[in-house]
Amino acid sequence: MTGHLTNNRWSSRRAGVRWLLVCAALALGVVGLEGRGRRPGGARSPATEHASARHWAFVPPQMPRLPSVQQADWPRNPIDYFILQRLEAAGLRPSPEADRTTLIRRVTLDLTGLPPTPEEVDAFLADTRPRAYERLVVRLLQSPRFGEHMARYWLDAARYADTHGLHSDDYSAVWPYREWVITAFNRNLPFDQFLIEQLAGDLLPHATPEQQIATGFLRCHLSSTDAALAEEEVRVGNMVDITETTAAVTLGLTFSCARCHDHKYDPLSMRDYYSFYAFFNSFDGSPYNFHLPAPPPAVAVPSPRQQQREQELYQRGEALRREIAAACARCRDDVGPDRGEVAPLADQPRDYVWFDDELPRSARILQDGVAEDECRVVRRPEGPVFSGESALRIKSRETGRHYVIQIDPPLVIGPGDRLFCYVYLDPDDPPAQVMLQWRTRDFDHRASWGEDLIPHTDAGRPTIRHFGALPKSGEWVRLEVAAEEVGLAPGAVVDGIGFAQYDGTVYWDATGSRTRLPVHQQTFDTLAEWLAVQRRLNGARLPPAIRELALKPDNQRTPEQRRQLRDFFLQRAYRGNREVLEPLLARLAEHEDAVSRFYAELPQAPVYRDAAMPRPTFILRGGQFDRRGSRVEPAVPACLPPLPADAPRNRLGLARWLVSPQQPLTARVIVNRFWQQFFGTGLVRTVDDFGLRGEPPSHPELLDWLACRFQRDGWNVKHLVYWLVTSATYRQTSRASPEARARDPENRLLSRGSRLRLDAEVLRDQALFCGGLLVEEIGGPSVKPPQPPGLWEAVVTANSNTGRFVADVGPQKVYRRSLYTFWKRTAPPPQMTILDAPSRETCVFRRERMNTPLQALVMLNDPQWVEAARGMAERAWAKAESQRERLVWLFRLAVVRRPDAAELAELEAALGDLRRAFERRPPAAAQLVGVGERPVRVAVEPTELAAWTMLAHLILNLDEVVTRE
Amino acid sequence: MHPISAYIQAMTRRHFFRRAGLGLGAAALAVLGPPRAKANGRQPPSPHHPPRAQRAIFLFMNGGPSQLDLWDYKPQMANWFGKDLPDSVRDGQRLTLMTANQQRLLIAPSIYRFARHGRSGTWVSELLPWTARVVDELCVIKSLQTDEINHDPAVTFLCTGHAIPGRASLGAWVSYGLGSENANLPTFVVMTPVGAEKLGNGLTARLWGAGFLPGRHQGVLLRAQGEPLLFLSNPAGVDASTRRRMLDSLAHLNEKHFAEVGDPETLTRIAQYELAFRMQMSVPQLVDLSREPAHVRALYGPDVDRPGTFAASCLLARRLVEQGVRFVQIFHRGWDNHLNLPRRLPIQCQESDQPCYGLITDLKQRGLLEETLVIWAGEFGRTIFCQGTLTPRQYGREHHPRCAAAWLAGGGIRPGITHGETDDFSFNVVRDPVHVHDLHATILHCLGIDHERLTYRYQGLDVRLTGVEPRQPVWPILL
Repeated sequence: MTGHLTNNRWSSRRAGVRWLLVCAALALGVVGLEGRGRRPGGARSPATEHASARHWAFVPPQMPRLPSVQQADWPRNPIDYFILQRLEAAGLRPSPEADRTTLIRRVTLDLTGLPPTPEEVDAFLADTRPRAYERLVVRLLQSPRFGEHMARYWLDAARYADTHGLHSDDYSAVWPYREWVITAFNRNLPFDQFLIEQLAGDLLPHATPEQQIATGFLRCHLSSTDAALAEEEVRVGNMVDITETTAAVTLGLTFSCARCHDHKYDPLSMRDYYSFYAFFNSFDGSPYNFHLPAPPPAVAVPSPRQQQREQELYQRGEALRREIAAACARCRDDVGPDRGEVAPLADQPRDYVWFDDELPRSARILQDGVAEDECRVVRRPEGPVFSGESALRIKSRETGRHYVIQIDPPLVIGPGDRLFCYVYLDPDDPPAQVMLQWRTRDFDHRASWGEDLIPHTDAGRPTIRHFGALPKSGEWVRLEVAAEEVGLAPGAVVDGIGFAQYDGTVYWDATGSRTRLPVHQQTFDTLAEWLAVQRRLNGARLPPAIRELALKPDNQRTPEQRRQLRDFFLQRAYRGNREVLEPLLARLAEHEDAVSRFYAELPQAPVYRDAAMPRPTFILRGGQFDRRGSRVEPAVPACLPPLPADAPRNRLGLARWLVSPQQPLTARVIVNRFWQQFFGTGLVRTVDDFGLRGEPPSHPELLDWLACRFQRDGWNVKHLVYWLVTSATYRQTSRASPEARARDPENRLLSRGSRLRLDAEVLRDQALFCGGLLVEEIGGPSVKPPQPPGLWEAVVTANSNTGRFVADVGPQKVYRRSLYTFWKRTAPPPQMTILDAPSRETCVFRRERMNTPLQALVMLNDPQWVEAARGMAERAWAKAESQRERLVWLFRLAVVRRPDAAELAELEAALGDLRRAFERRPPAAAQLVGVGERPVRVAVEPTELAAWTMLAHLILNLDEVVTRE
Repeated sequence: MHPISAYIQAMTRRHFFRRAGLGLGAAALAVLGPPRAKANGRQPPSPHHPPRAQRAIFLFMNGGPSQLDLWDYKPQMANWFGKDLPDSVRDGQRLTLMTANQQRLLIAPSIYRFARHGRSGTWVSELLPWTARVVDELCVIKSLQTDEINHDPAVTFLCTGHAIPGRASLGAWVSYGLGSENANLPTFVVMTPVGAEKLGNGLTARLWGAGFLPGRHQGVLLRAQGEPLLFLSNPAGVDASTRRRMLDSLAHLNEKHFAEVGDPETLTRIAQYELAFRMQMSVPQLVDLSREPAHVRALYGPDVDRPGTFAASCLLARRLVEQGVRFVQIFHRGWDNHLNLPRRLPIQCQESDQPCYGLITDLKQRGLLEETLVIWAGEFGRTIFCQGTLTPRQYGREHHPRCAAAWLAGGGIRPGITHGETDDFSFNVVRDPVHVHDLHATILHCLGIDHERLTYRYQGLDVRLTGVEPRQPVWPILL
């Protein structure tokens, strides 16, 4: 094999060569002559203001007149006039229409991503009325599969994935956005609105949850947890990703050069870049993802069932509260005035056990570097227990951390408090270091024993203290430190604790504080006494609204507030009615437990939101986050029409400007991408570059006509698609004589139909569909069908929460469309990437269609393909009686057309040989039909089924099946 | 002539080679006609200049090995134990957040002994006794510099020439530029051995990705467990003859379809299935290290018999380049010694030292070293000052982008020399800085490629591996 040293190397020095090629192309009629006047410099010209001002793509499209053609009976819609005129000018004729089986397969795959069933084919062939094809297209456009298929292309551009992509590459729960995209295509949301909601759905008046979820587009960027990165650096990285993706998706311009210097070729300056960036820069959230699936801001995404459950919970809670209030009203209420001091500290400190066996309600657990099976609760006599019934055992190689967060009630720090925890180090497997971490806003309060091996980001800061050697192993030891030694001052509120160790096996038990605070008393005789204690505890155990009232100076409460405070006290803490209320309060506690569990489990979708105070944006010299230049305000690139004077200077203003009629790029860029989707190559081949270095369109008038028509139609996607796939151009056969191929080698003139290898997802979905395995269910979280072992493990960091791949089981997970396959960015599913799916790290509009032996290996050996082939064989067996009928049915299932005599003969010969091969080795047959999850469903000899499975597998691998003809 | 071959000749060449890819087009012909037929009627593209190396092996020390404890001997530092790094040395250079808040930057001299080795007298740490034995074959660079201070961007930078994901990797560029020497094997192979310790910093497929280059240039991960190549094995119950029978009918039906439709892509597809079949035959033998004689395995040390170790990967790398794989990259993980260097670094060295020696020795014995470029490097170096607690036996080192050590050997490299020099603290380069892009230019140069002329049009720009600044090969280290 040879390489590319002499290919595709048109560096700027060689522009002359390229120009010659363009001239040659013009002479050959490959590139049109009629558009020349509007494309100064065509291939390349200096990026002077003058030239760029007239660059074809920067001039708003005008609706062109339909050209006149000679073969007037060929065009079916306006698109065809433009195509035919070019063909005629080049002395070519269009190809005949493809036969009807080819057409139904082509258009069904193109609109739904799945092939037609034999029944659908029969119905179409039987429909001899006029406009049968158009009716077919309308039916397909109404299929919910349409939205799934269209969404997949968009998700490449949106760099959708299920992990954050950098550093530990943790789980990212942005799937509700994927569902939104599918739904948007299915309900035919106008494309301008589609863009507006993704860029600024949250800023729309009365934004619905769905419109907010749409902004997930802006949250699909790569993000980091790497604490070694400066916050500003991470923020700049995120903004750069958002800026460049948005510009590429909507304007078809490559902004990235202008990040560090003014663009060499396009009229884009650094000021343009950072002014565009400024629209996004006020994001109201941390740039780190903190290992969270939906780093805030996020909105809850309850399913319909969950919405119902939420209602039920709410009503049950209200009923309970009413019951308590009613019971309260029947009780004593001589609680005294709502005046209190600050309760004194006890004379002697006492142990307050924060938690022991039972985790407090609402608590959540996070782990880092600890495998699930290496961390568990043990009871006597399985392991040592200090107090209560159980202890927590953690086994770790190197650093392992177990965090408990959101602990309610939190631990309040008092003057002179000491913090404790009991540990037991396994004498047979001691750790090298143990560490406790307490969380206030972060986990930066650390106490360490033993060596200094556990990574921490703040060495030398007062928040980590080393307390000498490890405690003695083989016995329970109380680790105890003064709160102030780990940076916790009196009044601090601790709501989380971390148990960390380096190597070894450690048992952890009861933890709490030794304190003089009045933390033990739960019930009180008077309001004043209660208030005094709450004040001493800084209100840390109260709901926020009540806390505010309790801490307020006594004489500043309104009568309504006094009533609220008193009611709360009566219901929750008054000893006088405790006996009556106790059972009710227990029920309430149980209820609140259920509520917090409900909300903890509710899926969250990350959304975009701006901070109340806009964040100033600066030009960053050399693109470096810490080299600020002059300040810029949100603005659109100077080479394009300005924002209207009355438009808001925010994302909404930007989004509306992008889809406004005077803005020349977006409509062209979008229709060009749809063109590429259905014809294989864009009218502008460089779908991602409409700048001066991009290729000029092959049919400039057609591009403008489509762009104008699309806008005039209200950005109606289904309408546009209908135009495209019902054109005579689209319906041409893809077969071509050598002569036709020689004259239009790349089919830029559209003298024939396009032949395209199916995309990775379509190939897999088609196999599952033909095998009768596909489970069609729209939306939901991603699923993990089986993949070869060790792929995640090969790349993962120790602390990633997507470190180990565990395949899902069950048809609901394993046989879903590939669009729903879990996408880990650092190790994407190989069945997809080997077949040219992008990594989903950056925005991609155009997939390669390579043809490699590794692809053949996937299609031959991936167990899911084998299982699908077996499913096909079983279906054929059940469907028909004779061998011949079964073969024909099987062939039609995947190839759609009927086999001819030669093909049947080849298949029958193969079947005979394969059957004999398996009859010689029956165990091999049993192995083959045992591949996959679903059991065999037809009563047939394994040797026979194995032979048919091989045959079905052969058919699935036919060039005609992996290609959309 | 075979009628299909005749037909191909009638195809428009530009189309054929663009759609099928030049290399694959040639491969298709190799299957259907005589091997390496010049049926395409043109000379195979030649490199930009006569190459010294035909192929390369990149030993990637992921995490950033400490140059101070391995290669860059700083005896003066013994007197500086526990003292502050002088501000004049640091000169305001950026730290990561891990030490940005550290109040003092205390100097931690290496606790390891260095000695001169070989005729060249190159200083080598006691942690690398085996590599020291072949030091006369190496060119040690002490002045490698990068632009990035954190792992993810720095690793991406060294592997793809750019810190932001999305570019083509070094191996992909080489594959794109030179193509393959063996149609039965991938052009660019990657291995990710797992060491005795936990995994260390993460890797990502982008490090061997094709970026904007056609997908077939991406590195192919050769796996230590399970099948060496993904989906290489036939499904359970299918043996080679059954597969062959199926493929025969598949080829017949596809040929018939080609005759009707006339798309050369169909021919390429036929060829790919044949190649896949041949890879199923050849790859298992290739990765079967038991076929190596004991004395050769012994060169790489005892780990060589455990699949998935760095040692086994090195021996496999030699077998691969011997068979004409252009570029092999081995990622050895666990070099990020922030806090526990004296505990971790010796383990890293123990895993990698003898295999490096074995690889160089083995290549040399076979006469392959002359035409094989071997590169040993990590994404950055480490600081002289300590991160975490400093005691005479315990210290850690922070990332340091300004100085790192690397070595090159073999095809086109001047052996037995040291290039570049750092200050007494190994904090700043004082002589002959080598930027990562210079290293890239050097690697490409050895392979016969002018880094300025190997470009690819992407998003309107002619992108090259070595970025936009002027760069050049490190001439003094080249033969």
